[in-house]
Amino acid sequence: MATYIARRLLQGIVVLLAVSMICFIIFRYMGDPVLAMAGKYATQSEIEEVRHMLGLDQPSYVQYGRFLWNALHGNFGKSYVTRIPALGLILERFPATFELATTAICMSFLVGLTLGVLVALRPHTWYNRLVMAGSLAGISVPTFLTGILLIMVFAVYLGILPPFGRGKTVTIGFWRTGFLTIDGIKHLILPAATLATYQLAVLLRLTRAGMREVLAEEYIKTAWAKGLPPRKVIFKHALRNVLIPVVTMTGLQFGELIAFSIVTETIFQWPGMGNLLLTSIYETDQPVIVTYIMLAAFIIITINMVVDILYAVLNPKIRYD
Amino acid sequence: MKKITIPCYMILAAVLAVAMAGPAAASSSLVVAVDTPPRMMNPHGDDSDANLSYMANFFDGLLQRKGPDGKLVPALAVRWEHPDELSWKFYLRKGVRFHNGNPFTAADVKFSFERLSNPEVSEFINTGKMIERVDIIDDYTVVIRTKKPIPWFANNMHQVFIMDKESTESRDPGQVMVKPIGTGAYKLVEWVKGSYLRLTANEDYWEGAPAIKNIEVRPITEASTRFAALVSGQTELMTGVPVELFARIKTNPRLLVISRPARRSIFLALGNEKDKPWSDIRVRKAMYMAINEDEIIAKIMRGHATPAAQIPDPPTIGYNAGIKRLPYDPVTARKLMAEAGYADGFSITLAGPNDRYVQDEQIAEAIAKYLSKIGIKVKLDVKPKAIFFPEVVEGKLDFYLIGWFDGTFDMGRTYFKLAHTRDKEMGYGGFNGTRYSDPDIDRLLESTAQIIDPAKRAKVLQDLNKMAMVDKITWIPLHYQEDLYAVQKGKGIKFQPRPDRWMVYKEISK
Repeated sequence: MATYIARRLLQGIVVLLAVSMICFIIFRYMGDPVLAMAGKYATQSEIEEVRHMLGLDQPSYVQYGRFLWNALHGNFGKSYVTRIPALGLILERFPATFELATTAICMSFLVGLTLGVLVALRPHTWYNRLVMAGSLAGISVPTFLTGILLIMVFAVYLGILPPFGRGKTVTIGFWRTGFLTIDGIKHLILPAATLATYQLAVLLRLTRAGMREVLAEEYIKTAWAKGLPPRKVIFKHALRNVLIPVVTMTGLQFGELIAFSIVTETIFQWPGMGNLLLTSIYETDQPVIVTYIMLAAFIIITINMVVDILYAVLNPKIRYD
Repeated sequence: MKKITIPCYMILAAVLAVAMAGPAAASSSLVVAVDTPPRMMNPHGDDSDANLSYMANFFDGLLQRKGPDGKLVPALAVRWEHPDELSWKFYLRKGVRFHNGNPFTAADVKFSFERLSNPEVSEFINTGKMIERVDIIDDYTVVIRTKKPIPWFANNMHQVFIMDKESTESRDPGQVMVKPIGTGAYKLVEWVKGSYLRLTANEDYWEGAPAIKNIEVRPITEASTRFAALVSGQTELMTGVPVELFARIKTNPRLLVISRPARRSIFLALGNEKDKPWSDIRVRKAMYMAINEDEIIAKIMRGHATPAAQIPDPPTIGYNAGIKRLPYDPVTARKLMAEAGYADGFSITLAGPNDRYVQDEQIAEAIAKYLSKIGIKVKLDVKPKAIFFPEVVEGKLDFYLIGWFDGTFDMGRTYFKLAHTRDKEMGYGGFNGTRYSDPDIDRLLESTAQIIDPAKRAKVLQDLNKMAMVDKITWIPLHYQEDLYAVQKGKGIKFQPRPDRWMVYKEISK
């Protein structure tokens, strides 16, 4: 197990290096930040002074090397736009995104799994067919449309849920949470539901397919034949084996939700990291974008590793040597 | 985001009729949805009007601009003199205190102006570098000496905000970027990035405490969400109403739309290199006359723009009311093309941003169609502003759509930036992206640099303007944009938009 984790860590570092290099190459074509930073009326020599201050007059390999060196020391540079350290800027937004993603993933995992099992038990009833059709819609309707439709129905027509923002929040240490106030939870429902729709549909279909396959297996028949109660057959013997791909998927989705809930955050004006990323892209704020992408890569790598370890817990047959 | 916003508008527009009114807020508070979030609370770190708009509430300049016409009036300076070409003497207001209680004195003025030339914290480097030195005569008198005569120096003093020397130096630089300590009418209570800012009235404000005691500003960049927030009653005032929604908002009985002509004009820059067909004045005229601006305003801008015949807007020194647009006349245009020897037309690339101005991409598409009718094959090259503007600065283009207005209300600076032959050494022509060059314009423009007397200056700048727009067709002007706002009716909100689009809350009451 230890060697396995060490190997995965090493792989993770290689991936992070590759990601940082790709970011750097891309930004050479993303526009010149110096221009905006020198001000509208700056002369050429003033522009050059700013370029020099930022070290952007040096060859790109020097810039890259310096970036790596600083990153190793936890310094990802200052945002060109706000002139505040980029990492702090992103981490400040992390709680909002994390709470949104967690809520969404819990919604989709619980609802997706439950519906998936129920549908698999009686696949041919009309209401289960309806659920399956609905899940197809969940997969194919783009997030922005889901979001806008939810706003339209719940915020504008019915007026029971707020259309945007995070509502009242409570700060505990550095963590600003919306979980502790009614207003905060109300604000969470629509964006979390929007974000959960797609994931829910995917998990539902995955669970259903797995359950149907497993329920046809010999050992399940044996379990039924032994006269075990349905609860035991379904949850202990069948579902546990289905869970492996489902957990993998959930893990991957969770990483994705944290890193890339950009569209949903924009529509709901959710003050999270995705919103920040989009603004930063508009303004060519390279330090923030690079830091963000590195952080996203880091989160996804970590989650994948946790998922791999969870495998072993779910299925003791799996060994990592 | 374009792809996303269009369906949003359509869907939201369909449900306008059932707009819900939210709970009424207390009379001394106001919730505002604006289109651009603040970047930082450092008043020198961003020279965009979007950020200055926030800063104007926390800080004061030596002077300020007031009212619908942007008149220059005293603020932290009670009056100013211009003893010689290079000196500007300001008499400071006594008894003003910063939000932290520190008294405002000449030392703060000196500190703030010297800070401008530090690229680490300032985007006003150009203004900072103009200054030779700042002399403190006594606690309430300063003389600012510029390196060269800068006729518009005082005109810019509403944009240069005064910071507290003591707390700016003693605080952590990161703190200075997020927590403003100024003399302004409002203090910042809380800034939750990406969510809202809470402002509270500065009861000791030197102009008297502002009428509205608590302001919540919610920056919402997505236009349809900003609009939904207003319709659902969560906010009471909104800036940046998209033209697509305008007609529908107007029919909503709960909302009141306020529009005012914007200072920004939209125009086409066209190079004049000798070997290019478009250096011929007949071709330039033909291109001008081929464009049906009235149709652009009616169809693309949905009526929310006014035709422009020049770059500056009426309150700007140098605006010449005598300049008229060339008529839309494709027949004459074709004739002019034939006379110039281009009866079969030529090819040209029209560049422009697609995320900067109201309907920018659509306008560029329309221009391409109009020009194709007189035989000019236009290749469109619209792109995000982050890519487009560097190309302008590098001078790589022949023909592009751009917008401009000058915060100083003086055309001289604009012309040096946009029309003067590119000259890196002198810093001229920095936004002359077509490498346009005309010795007559350069000469007349340079002569204005020494003229300080406003009346004389206005005369020469008007002549220069006429020369460029009528004799040389330096640019093809299109229109002035219109700024659109919407407020909840029946809340008694008294709001008059400013020419610079700043949201200065001490000017609002309810």
